[in-house]
Amino acid sequence: MTTVLNLTTRPVPTGTVLTVAGELDHASADRFLTALATIPLQQGDLLTVDLGGLAYCDSTGITALLAARNHAQARGAAIALLAVPTATLRILGILGLDQVFPIHPAPQGDTDPSA
Amino acid sequence: MCETTDGDPEQDTGAGGTDAVAGGEDADEAEHAQFSALLEDSAEDLYEHAPCGYLSTLMDGRIAKANTTLLDWLGYTRAQLVGCKRFADLLTVGGKLYHETHFAPLLAMQGKVSGIALELRAADGTRLPVLITSTVKTGSDGQPLLIRTTVFDARERRAYENELLRARKHAEQGGAEAEQARAEAEQARQAAESEHARLRQVMAILQHSLLPPDLPQVPGVKAAAYYHTASADQLGGDFYDLFALGQGQWGFFLGDVCGKGPQAAAVTSLTRYTLRAAFLHASDPAAALDTLNTALQERYTGTDPRYCTAIAGTLTPHGDTLHVTVASGGHPPALLLRADGTAEYLPTPGGLLVGILSHPHFTTATTVLNPGDTMLLYTDGLTEARTADGPRYSEDHLHAFAQTLAPADAQQAITALTGLLKSFGDGLDDDTALLALGNPAPHTNPEGE
Amino acid sequence: MFGMDAVSRNNVTVTGRLDGPVVMLAHGFGCDQNMWRLVVPMLADRFKVVLFDYVGSGRSDPSAWDRQRYASLEGYAADVLDICVDLDLSEAVFVGHSVSAMIGVLAAARQPDRFGKLVMVAPSPCYIDDPDTGYTGGFSAADIDELLQSLDSNYLGWSAAMAPVIMGNPERPELGEELTSSFCATDPDMAAVFARTTFLSDSRGDLASVTVPTLVLECSQDVIAPRQVGAYVHAAIPGSRLVTLDATGHCPQLSAPEATGQAIVEFAGAPR
Repeated sequence: MTTVLNLTTRPVPTGTVLTVAGELDHASADRFLTALATIPLQQGDLLTVDLGGLAYCDSTGITALLAARNHAQARGAAIALLAVPTATLRILGILGLDQVFPIHPAPQGDTDPSA
Repeated sequence: MCETTDGDPEQDTGAGGTDAVAGGEDADEAEHAQFSALLEDSAEDLYEHAPCGYLSTLMDGRIAKANTTLLDWLGYTRAQLVGCKRFADLLTVGGKLYHETHFAPLLAMQGKVSGIALELRAADGTRLPVLITSTVKTGSDGQPLLIRTTVFDARERRAYENELLRARKHAEQGGAEAEQARAEAEQARQAAESEHARLRQVMAILQHSLLPPDLPQVPGVKAAAYYHTASADQLGGDFYDLFALGQGQWGFFLGDVCGKGPQAAAVTSLTRYTLRAAFLHASDPAAALDTLNTALQERYTGTDPRYCTAIAGTLTPHGDTLHVTVASGGHPPALLLRADGTAEYLPTPGGLLVGILSHPHFTTATTVLNPGDTMLLYTDGLTEARTADGPRYSEDHLHAFAQTLAPADAQQAITALTGLLKSFGDGLDDDTALLALGNPAPHTNPEGE
Repeated sequence: MFGMDAVSRNNVTVTGRLDGPVVMLAHGFGCDQNMWRLVVPMLADRFKVVLFDYVGSGRSDPSAWDRQRYASLEGYAADVLDICVDLDLSEAVFVGHSVSAMIGVLAAARQPDRFGKLVMVAPSPCYIDDPDTGYTGGFSAADIDELLQSLDSNYLGWSAAMAPVIMGNPERPELGEELTSSFCATDPDMAAVFARTTFLSDSRGDLASVTVPTLVLECSQDVIAPRQVGAYVHAAIPGSRLVTLDATGHCPQLSAPEATGQAIVEFAGAPR
């Protein structure tokens, strides 16, 4: 049973934006990690993970985000989370990860597809 | 020539037309005659050149008459067979035996035998597979006179039969092989099943080893616990423990390792033993979590980060109260059920999950458990469970539930919450651990309140 | 099997004069007790005639078939003795056709009291030539294999022999009864075992054990039991009588029933 997870990357002047839509759980985490490995990151780059379309995230999903953080830091890059859905924000808060990841709201005017 | 002098026994039965001669004025008659001429000249010709062999033998087997077709097939002249040989002489040895033990008795008893497969020996020694049908011709007084035999060339049929026999053997062999394969598959299936059962047994034992078999008796403390695994096949990632620290002090912790399965179980194992050891050396729960953090971080990095959430603390009796210090690493807050019937969370906000950062912050809190108070620790399987309506149970509902429950001793609290968990049914899809530590109510108070 | 009723198992028929001396007719390889149909009426006036089918032949109980037991002539002899026990026979005249003659020899050796006389119809103690001793049985081992193949190739046409027919004999209208469809139609597997056992057996050594009066009936022209074999058997059994019937083929009880029946009646009826 495969969960639906859509991953797209686009380069921006400061680094890369990785857009995650769908469900990030133990069934799809591997695909996230595989996609992560293909993103070129250099010293000083910023990896922005856009979670605006994230419908579901379990502890394996959290682990995947932590792996992304390790991956960025190992290359001297930074990581930030963008448009984190409310449910995921709550979990991040309990885990104390809201102190670990820079978290940014969605830019003004963007619709939140994960309503 | 050794023809019998009795004359042809067949003579009195012979009937036949003469050669048709075209004659007569009638055109129809001429056409009819021509038609007959075209088809068969005479009964004799029909006999001699029939598509099958004809053979007539006396009752003792001596050949009395044979048609041309048969003679041609066998390569004999009439003189070589008639009156000289017996039918059995034309058979192979095996055929002779069969003839004597089956064919002849059948013919004697029934007066007719049909469709028997035999082989005739030709004059040049080659064998001709044939199908034989014989009937006994009796005279007007009912006495058996001779045996009339029809011989069919069975070469094609024999080839076909051999093919059928071969195919049947092949099919039987295939059937036997299939049966063997099925038996082997069944064996393999049974082996797999018993292996599966064995693994389940192993997992159950391992699982068991990850939990304290029984909570210890703590003087002046009532303790109770409950553990639920979401999947019978997967080892759970929740853990808890209660142990003596010496000098009347007790340590405890409860937590949740991320993930499931053997890897998570390994982390659980490491976590339990590290925390236990850390407590014996650390001065406070936060320091113990710090030690755990270092151990996990050291071991699990990169693309397979492993972490856990945990709430750890100490229990120190002071007179008839219990002083509690807890530290939380990314874990839901403890719930306090007071003797006066109120319930409240013991907030420990901002603590970071254990095993990710180098210098994590773990939030510490303290409280006092008076007689009749109970502290409840739980993992997020409880608050994340789906209710019948759909949304997660949540901390708010748990709070409300606790308020109706309080006051309760440790066992009552566990019993009530176990019931709550069961009421979620399929909505509870994660592991859940519960640990309740209570200060017993004074003896003078009635039980059950 | 303990307690198995041999009378049902072996499709035993008892007919004739029920208080007369017992004549037991045993068929050989190939068919069943119906072989004796033409001879029975000649015996029925004076004797109590017992007929049966060996297990694996005729209408014997197929569930009693045992590959091990019936792969040896001793197994067939055991059938005979079981019947003797069930019918409480003693001093019976055993008439054995072909290989049954040897079966009778074995049965008599085991329980001599059951049998008073032995009639061997077209007997042979060994069908395969034994060049070392100069014995002519008439066949080679390869010949026997051919027979087995012949049985096998007729399996596909086996059902052709199944149709019941009326057997008529104008002199004996009472015999015009419908033959059962089992006549000469045996399960091919069982037939193959019986064939092997019959044609590969060597009972020459057992002939010397015969102590009862014995009549050897041979045919003048018999491919399966040629004259040399009849002579051999006669010589091997002390005190035996040899009668050569003017008959061709291996089944004189069918091809020359009067002569066969006559010879049996005279021998069975004569005082010991």
